[in-house]
Amino acid sequence: MTAMKTALRLGVLVGAIAVLAAIAISMASAQNAPAWIDQDENWATSKQTLQAFGERFETSEALYEALKRAAGSIEPLTWQQMGEPAYDWSGIYTRTKGGLQFDPDMSQESGPASAKLTPAGQQVLKTKAEQLARTGGEYDPISDCRPPGTPRWFTEPFLHEFIVTPAQTWLINEMVNDVRRVYTDGRDHTPAEDAYSTWNGDSIGFWDAETLVVHTKYLLPGQYQRGVQPNYSDQTTVVERWHKVDARTLQADVWVFDAVNLSEPWYTRQSWTELTNDDKQLRIRYWDCRENPNNAIITTDAGTSQFPDFTFVPNDGEVSSDPAVKQAQEGRGGVR
Amino acid sequence: MRRALLNRSNRLKRSNRLRTLAVALGLTAFVVPLFAHHSSAMFDDKKEVTLTGVVKEFQYTNPHSWLLVDVKGPDGKVTTWGFEAEGPSTLQRAGIRKGDLAPGMPVTVTGHPMRDGRPAAAWIRATRMTDKKEFVPRAGFAIR
Repeated sequence: MTAMKTALRLGVLVGAIAVLAAIAISMASAQNAPAWIDQDENWATSKQTLQAFGERFETSEALYEALKRAAGSIEPLTWQQMGEPAYDWSGIYTRTKGGLQFDPDMSQESGPASAKLTPAGQQVLKTKAEQLARTGGEYDPISDCRPPGTPRWFTEPFLHEFIVTPAQTWLINEMVNDVRRVYTDGRDHTPAEDAYSTWNGDSIGFWDAETLVVHTKYLLPGQYQRGVQPNYSDQTTVVERWHKVDARTLQADVWVFDAVNLSEPWYTRQSWTELTNDDKQLRIRYWDCRENPNNAIITTDAGTSQFPDFTFVPNDGEVSSDPAVKQAQEGRGGVR
Repeated sequence: MRRALLNRSNRLKRSNRLRTLAVALGLTAFVVPLFAHHSSAMFDDKKEVTLTGVVKEFQYTNPHSWLLVDVKGPDGKVTTWGFEAEGPSTLQRAGIRKGDLAPGMPVTVTGHPMRDGRPAAAWIRATRMTDKKEFVPRAGFAIR
């Protein structure tokens, strides 16, 4: 009986130590959360610091909570603050650099992505490289105007608008009228039992002084971009820190977690620059593939892309040497 | 400590494997697709075609615009060629407004032709013959 009591006490003691250790580690993580780091001549080192910071967490939820603890007391923004430069994100922006690379620090000639991949993730890259080597092309699912989805959203090169309000921030991509809403009114994510996946998932956030911290989950699978770049799974979650770094530039630290494709979180610094728009002719307008039938795209048997039917070519099936075009024409019975 | 060293060792091994894969894939890495919305596999980016004709229609649409140009062949037969470019906002950023290339205007256009032989190409540059003004859609991705 005494031995049992001793064992019980020992168990409680070990449990308590484990809990205290977890709390200590968690507090240490919060205390060591790096503040916003500017992209200066030491960026390569800073980037490693931010990558390493992400790797300290098993989940994006743990990283997000650490950033929340580091922020201390969180005060919602007020409408009076909206005119302050830190929160005035008005204007028309575009991606600062990176082309179609998810990691803007990579050039198009850099080869594969900077992500640390699982064997499954590596296999995806290998398969894509082989497809491109074999056919010289590919088919992009967004050719039919479906949304790119997050995290691919970060790479799209067209116009953007960013609307900050106290309760929500809207991150708008011109392409296919794509809006990410970040709720900053203190609400939590949709409960797991009621959640459903969407292209841009469910985003909540808070303001740590002049930095917007965002957590996103419940995403559909996709690819970071075309070319030899990784895929992401429906287990993907994302943590972001948005910050206006100067009068024309918005940037975001982005940590992507995906146990299927990534062996470690993938850190990148994304950036958008406000465009000169003196005559105010740059505007976000509705975008739909059906505006012009010449933009219809089909996939070929080889897995590449093709136009099935030009309005300005009276006999596509006869002129084209591509069997996919002939098949498309036959499928339509020769009637446009 | 031993576990930490093993983890480090595993990480280094994984890192080396990744580096090997990176080198292998780097050999087959491809140049960026010409268009940001769909693959440009249908165009031959190793070839260029230059044609002179008259603007038939400027389809200023999303996600891509099409400049239709009537080109008269040596036999007098007119063929309508389509030159694909990015959508309106990128063209605006390149300084190309819809009214710049109105129907009836004589133009010379250079593009990467379709691989399958149809009269279409990816628009590289167009010159308005009346004033020699040049229009380069890809300039729309520059930041100003």
